Amino acid sequence: MTDPAHVQSRPDEQTAAAPPVVDVRDLRVHFKVHRGLFGSQLVKAVDGVSFSIAAGETLGLAGESGSGKSTVARTLVRINRPTDGSVLLSGAETARLSGQELRAYRRRMQMVYQDPYDSLDPKMTIKDAIGEGLTVRGVPRARRKSEVEELLARVNLPVALAGRYPGQLSGGQRQRVSIARALAVSPEVIVCDEAVAALDVSIRAQVLNLLKDIQADAGVSYLFISHDLSTLRFMADRIAIMYVGRLVEYGTSEQVFAAPAHPYTQALIAAVPDIAALGGPRPAPLPGEPPNPASPPPGCAFHPRCPLAVELCRTVAPPLVRKANGQLAACHVVPDAPEVAR
Amino acid sequence: MDLVADVITVEHLTVAFPAKEGTGEVVRDVSLAIGAGERVGLVGESGSGKSLTARAIMRLIPQPGRVTNGTVLFDGAELGANSAPTKWRGTKIAMITQDPLSSLNPLVKIGTQITEMLRYHRRLSRTEARGKAEELLRSVGIPDPRRTMTRYPAVLSGGMRQRVALAIAISCEPRLLIADEPTTALDVTVQAQVLTLLERMTAEHGSAVLLISHDLGVVGNFCDRLLVMYAGRIVESGPTATVIGAPAHPYTRALLSSIPSLRGELPDRLASIPGSPPHGGGKASGCAFAPRCPLAREVCRQTDPALLKISDLRTVPADSHQAACHALGDENWNQAA
Amino acid sequence: MTAPPEGSFLSGQLPTAAVEPAAASELAAAADEPSLGRRALTSLRRDPVALISVIAVIVLALVAVFAPLLAPHNPLQAYPNGLASNGAPVGPGSSFLLGTDPNGRDVLSRLIFGARVSLLVGVVATGLASIIGVLVGGIAGYAGGIVDSVLMRITDVVLSFPILLFCVALIAITGPSTRNVMLVIAFGYWTYLARIVRGLVLSLKEREFVVAARTLGIGHRAILRRHILPHLVPAIIVYSTLGIATSILIEASLSYLGIGVPLPQASWGQMISQGQQYFQTAPWLLVAPGVALVLTVLAFNLAGDWLTDLLDPETSGDRR
Repeated sequence: MTDPAHVQSRPDEQTAAAPPVVDVRDLRVHFKVHRGLFGSQLVKAVDGVSFSIAAGETLGLAGESGSGKSTVARTLVRINRPTDGSVLLSGAETARLSGQELRAYRRRMQMVYQDPYDSLDPKMTIKDAIGEGLTVRGVPRARRKSEVEELLARVNLPVALAGRYPGQLSGGQRQRVSIARALAVSPEVIVCDEAVAALDVSIRAQVLNLLKDIQADAGVSYLFISHDLSTLRFMADRIAIMYVGRLVEYGTSEQVFAAPAHPYTQALIAAVPDIAALGGPRPAPLPGEPPNPASPPPGCAFHPRCPLAVELCRTVAPPLVRKANGQLAACHVVPDAPEVAR
Repeated sequence: MDLVADVITVEHLTVAFPAKEGTGEVVRDVSLAIGAGERVGLVGESGSGKSLTARAIMRLIPQPGRVTNGTVLFDGAELGANSAPTKWRGTKIAMITQDPLSSLNPLVKIGTQITEMLRYHRRLSRTEARGKAEELLRSVGIPDPRRTMTRYPAVLSGGMRQRVALAIAISCEPRLLIADEPTTALDVTVQAQVLTLLERMTAEHGSAVLLISHDLGVVGNFCDRLLVMYAGRIVESGPTATVIGAPAHPYTRALLSSIPSLRGELPDRLASIPGSPPHGGGKASGCAFAPRCPLAREVCRQTDPALLKISDLRTVPADSHQAACHALGDENWNQAA
Repeated sequence: MTAPPEGSFLSGQLPTAAVEPAAASELAAAADEPSLGRRALTSLRRDPVALISVIAVIVLALVAVFAPLLAPHNPLQAYPNGLASNGAPVGPGSSFLLGTDPNGRDVLSRLIFGARVSLLVGVVATGLASIIGVLVGGIAGYAGGIVDSVLMRITDVVLSFPILLFCVALIAITGPSTRNVMLVIAFGYWTYLARIVRGLVLSLKEREFVVAARTLGIGHRAILRRHILPHLVPAIIVYSTLGIATSILIEASLSYLGIGVPLPQASWGQMISQGQQYFQTAPWLLVAPGVALVLTVLAFNLAGDWLTDLLDPETSGDRR
């Protein structure tokens, strides 16, 4: 049976199109945490996640604390090592790389971090910070200066800032420098881990627009991680919702927001205080809290909070299958699409 | 105008920090009023001065800042003039903040922190206080209150800690509850719970709420009235539906259009505001928003716009919609240079 | 909530630029921070105590360097007119400004040359200790794991080693000398810096900009050189300054006990030891080196404190 996770944006398109730039299959990232004097516990931060990103596309990854979305991000850029599963970059397996090959892989996948204040070395000038990326790409010294200026222009920063230190820049400017640094190595994929969460609201729009422009310009793919659904709706072509290490919903942005299949997605959308929906009826908030990934509830991890939970949910974890509205969801209760054999 | 019990009246409040250049004023000439049981939202980004305004009301400005002008009246009388802060902090005005780990003592059991409040302010005996504390914890939705009382704050999750903080804040039935970014550090589903709880508790105890946040959605859904702050000044104020539905100040308008929404049409690009919000004391004269304002003209750089009333006064002044912008009142602003 | 009133006051849409050019406000937002030198001078002007101590340190350094030019007499020479008719040392007077010692040698000259010894020992010993400490602590912190454990256990062993015993042993083998004093002090002092550097490196390793450098594909050596080392410099400078003060004290103690700088070379410690014996009859022998030692250590400590305050804001990451 074909793995239901490998679905293109438009399910009716031929599967024989170009392979996705990023193809993650059954990714597992487990951490051993030491408890007490002798005990250790296995925390399954990411437990069997599969998704793909096409060239020039943005996949949004949403979830609350403990969902594992940040772990996915950091594993993709190999800050953490995957415990199991495969990560294919343009069809080539990269999950077990090391040494020189790992170095080469690193150039193709870059990251923009959440904290604009700590992701830049405070003792390095802006041009040196961006220059580091150029060194990795092997740009000769002579061309360094012009390339730095070009990159600064690309992220809409005045060239005069090149000689300054990060401490003299605002949060939004620093984030743009991080983007320029990531672009310096000419990556195929940029992982944005809550890239705008720490910025002022009026600055976020600037950075989001910039990211979109760069994508249109350079054809970079994004894995955009955010807890903010409104931002994801704007940025992402397709969305994956995570809950305690697993995917619970996966489909195009339109599908997921217009007709969310999984009860968690529905609750998540309902919980967002949206300015466009003022004065409307407010549904009762979802009870309980996101569980600790070190000890998730058995069966479907969402069942203690789920208004639709039945007996089966307490014992068996539901698989990710296509649902009646078109996207993939992991739920026993929501009706499957007719063609899914059970 | 009905002067019946404005719980808090702030007039021309100015808070300044020593600064090498500029005036160092981080809150400038802020005036606001909150009626009994009213829910008022204070919205702004970093550097807007919203948190400091709240702290000025509580008289808790961190050193070396000082209130250089203005008065804060509680129930008509000047706050702190005759009574020591301990008499009214916590009892008449209470506050919860973004990180309850800093407002809750991590080394003291939760039960003790609540009973301490009750015994000090309401003179309850130990058993009475313990009973009331349990009741309070139950009313904020903490499961197994008795056991929770024996635990330390660090063991609880963020959402639970905020509930405890709320329980402590509400324990002495304050007339005003100031909530400074109470849900910013919480997950979205937990945020919804805490806001619903806040709504219920303040309604039950009849407290007015000053909700401070950078999140327009949060204040928009919770508050009756909104005050928008920019660079230490109030640039727009009015009923929530008006400020969000028909914003008058260019900053408010730009801010609202720069926020992506969950519903409705998706733009290709978000309308953004160039530059960044100013930090610290700004220039002494001229509209602070002028460098970023698409409508800015020479007059904007020279003189500070005053808060002008927009809509006709309906019934009560509290319903009036005001904004501080030179462009108001000039139909031909867009056409002229 | 009531429905919003019809229409907004400002007619029409707000004009927005099609592409966002770098606005003038961008440059204004990136303020120009004063350089380290400027900040140093401003803070010195504000803090008279720090100013005096920094000047004292500079003066001491100059005295040490130009000792031969400044000393009025030869510190090793026993002058015949240095002793009174009964053989007792001469008190402060016109020919010997601070008096003489029981051998007829000029106290002032010995004091000046003693400064040279103290500073030399202080600087060399601390420098050596810093190099060892940074290497051990840096490697332990960055490599982690077994390397870290082994290096830290070695550090612990050295820390628990009694310095005096080591000194005595070394001297028993090779005889007392200035070189031995320097080695002993370095041996005892590097462990403190190693611990501190290890802690700093451990926390630096986790900082997002180091993680970002790893993600960019930058190698370990380059990361250590470009990202870790510059962040260690302030701590190293501060601890070196305080270390010089400590070294001077230790040298004085060792010399006082007779196992430091050997006679006839002048050292403050020796002079104090000698002065102690003659306190009743020739108090200037004790007072001069004692005061000099106290003031020097004080000056270095205060200057070190000032340096800490000056350099710390930079180390903590320039948060806005």
